[in-house]
Amino acid sequence: MRVQGLYSWHNPWFRWSVASVGALTVVSILVGFIWLPSVHGDFTAQGIWASICRAAGVPDDWSRADKAAAEPSPSTAVVLERTMARTGSSGAIGRGATLALQCTMCHGAQGMSVSDAPNLAGQYAEVVIKQLHDYRRGNRSSAIMQALSANLTDPDIEDLAAYYAYLPRARTAPASYSNAVPALVRVGDPMRNIAPCISCHGGTDQKFGTPWLEGMPVGYLTAQLKSFASGERRNDSHAQMRNMARAMSAAEIQAVAEFYARQGGAAD
Amino acid sequence: MYLARRLVLAHFWVAFAAFTVAIVLGEWQMFVRSPLHSWVDNPEHYYRSVTAHGTVMAYVFPTLIAMGFGYAITELALKRPLVGLRWAWIAFWLVMAGTVMASAPVAAGKASVLYTFYPPMIGSAFYYLGIVLVVVGSWIWVALMSINLRVWKKENAGATVPLAMYGNVAGAYLWAWTSIGAAVEILVLILPVALGFKDKIDAGLSRVFFSWTLHAIVYFWLMPSYIAFYTIVPRAIGGRLYSDTMGRVAFALFLVFSMPIGIHHLFADPQVGAGFKFVHAAMTGMVSVPTLLTVFTIVASVEIAARLRGGKGLLGWVKALPWKNPMMLAVTFSFIMLGFGGAGGIINMSYQLNETVHNTQWVTGHFHLIFAGAIVIMYFMVVYELWPQLTRCPPLPERLLRIQLWLWFIGMMVLTMPWHLVGLLGMPRRMAYFDYTHPALQPQAWTVIASTIGGFLLVLSTFLFLFILARAGHSTAVPAPFTFSVAVHPHARTPAALNTFGLWVALMIGLTLINYGFPIAQLALLEGTSVPAIPIGGR
Repeated sequence: MRVQGLYSWHNPWFRWSVASVGALTVVSILVGFIWLPSVHGDFTAQGIWASICRAAGVPDDWSRADKAAAEPSPSTAVVLERTMARTGSSGAIGRGATLALQCTMCHGAQGMSVSDAPNLAGQYAEVVIKQLHDYRRGNRSSAIMQALSANLTDPDIEDLAAYYAYLPRARTAPASYSNAVPALVRVGDPMRNIAPCISCHGGTDQKFGTPWLEGMPVGYLTAQLKSFASGERRNDSHAQMRNMARAMSAAEIQAVAEFYARQGGAAD
Repeated sequence: MYLARRLVLAHFWVAFAAFTVAIVLGEWQMFVRSPLHSWVDNPEHYYRSVTAHGTVMAYVFPTLIAMGFGYAITELALKRPLVGLRWAWIAFWLVMAGTVMASAPVAAGKASVLYTFYPPMIGSAFYYLGIVLVVVGSWIWVALMSINLRVWKKENAGATVPLAMYGNVAGAYLWAWTSIGAAVEILVLILPVALGFKDKIDAGLSRVFFSWTLHAIVYFWLMPSYIAFYTIVPRAIGGRLYSDTMGRVAFALFLVFSMPIGIHHLFADPQVGAGFKFVHAAMTGMVSVPTLLTVFTIVASVEIAARLRGGKGLLGWVKALPWKNPMMLAVTFSFIMLGFGGAGGIINMSYQLNETVHNTQWVTGHFHLIFAGAIVIMYFMVVYELWPQLTRCPPLPERLLRIQLWLWFIGMMVLTMPWHLVGLLGMPRRMAYFDYTHPALQPQAWTVIASTIGGFLLVLSTFLFLFILARAGHSTAVPAPFTFSVAVHPHARTPAALNTFGLWVALMIGLTLINYGFPIAQLALLEGTSVPAIPIGGR
């Protein structure tokens, strides 16, 4: 047995293996990059080289349409980053508490609202940061909040978020999600593509950037769901809430809002 | 056997202990999403279970079987003690430590990301580190297989490597190269995020790296079964291997073609160009060649056995086969499942047909039929064959073996055929529950009950398997020496190309670089492709 002689064109095993694998590769590439694209208008519109580039996954231009016209204005400019959820220093919480004095009229002295404005006590820091940025940039509309946020600097927003995250949050959900809980909250409705509320808002999982809802005023929750459904509110970056709310009936919106708004006991 | 008896036994026991836990989880999943049970209250529990089932069945169980069987082959085929026994035990304990390390966060709900990881979902870093340990343990095994072959070759210059060892080392090299994709994905892309150094991850690039591993890993699972087809089946049923060369060709072809094809898992992924998708689809077609060669060779070997037993006629010989022999039954069941599963696989690899079944229960049906069906049933036979060598037990009760194999075969068909059907009807995979009250779904409800019953038969079969092994007993008598199949022409000259691996490993690496090099380089260099990670179970 001559292993030395194996890697030589004279060895038929070497010759046939390398040649047939090479031929297979070349033929596959010719078919995949030239022949198949050639029968497709999208690929051939700009010539053979552009067609090969598109088949390789690198079009020279990702969109031939007029960019300025085609690009919709983004629904939010905030990219959620985990650093936003860091527990604030006591200094930050103190500064936040001072700044929060201008919020107490609507959001309550300790962040527990007595009006239809949302509770902020115990709200996740990244949620407060994102919403304030969205108000300030005009991605979420509210005559009052847009005006109030206009004067806040980025550090102000972080301090406010740190303060509210530090306050104890309302806890109203049951200990277990039994059949007594509305089905949409617990299991959603797969056939209508409605995910369960608890898969993001706490219960099964608490997704980053998703607000704490327990104890929120029922009027606030229904108003938000309705404005998501109508598309009036659109600062959910992946349209996740617009898609959920659009599929819900008015009665379902009411039931879900009432579930989360149930007046409950102590904070955790 | 010489030194590896306890080592192999440890691998097999741990493999099947993990397998038993995972199969019970699998059946639980089937049950809770069937109409026999109300909707699972917490869908996260379902995905936790899916993650544990997949992680054990894909990484832990087949790796331990391949390692254990590999050590056994090294001693039995090379007829010399295993070199590097201490390293083999270190590898075993690394796999054990990795398994525990990965299971704990999964059980705690901190890593319900499924065994395919799916960035930008990010679970606990311990989960990924555990899998790294399992893979590192298996890399030690790869090195040991290579070293043992080298030592044997030195002692037997010019001799032909026994077919079982050739297949074994081919499987080891295949795994070494295959596992690199997922290893890079975990070490370079996922772990920095899981450990908190980064917030964003390039999900598209991660998926391309994972596809490098995802398909070829199947051939790593499959190698022990193919080794059993070629080197145990013909002997066990009283025949001869039709062609030793064909076995070597099949193993070499698996080495060359199992890697550069993984992008057929990404047909629906926008980040990969259509040209590469086609090239991978075409090459995926090539892996059916070694399987077809194997089916032909093994059927021919079986025919030899039948004719030696007096079988006559064009097909009349089938009646003369030793149907009471568990190995005969197992190889028949395995080929039937391989046939259905392989046909389904050809549909999956086709760029256009894939559109109709992508992400449906069809896919789950396909890989259960191939892996849990055709492959695992041969794992059972490997363990049954080796058990007298490992424990010195008297011959195993053939009737119980046959019942166990029948249960596995029927269970697997009843589990997977309904999956194929509803997959074609569009039932998505990885759902924790279905609304069977919906008029569009109600007619499909029975299929989920059928699969639950199939799964139950598989659980029964598993417990029967454990029962057979546990009560096999021990004796002090030294077992008869283990033999592998003898070829029809045992002393035929083996060409150098089929007695070494260099050419095939070079083709494997070259083809992978051609088929993966550009997509990986392009995605890695493209800016702005990372997305914020989604931590799982973080709060």
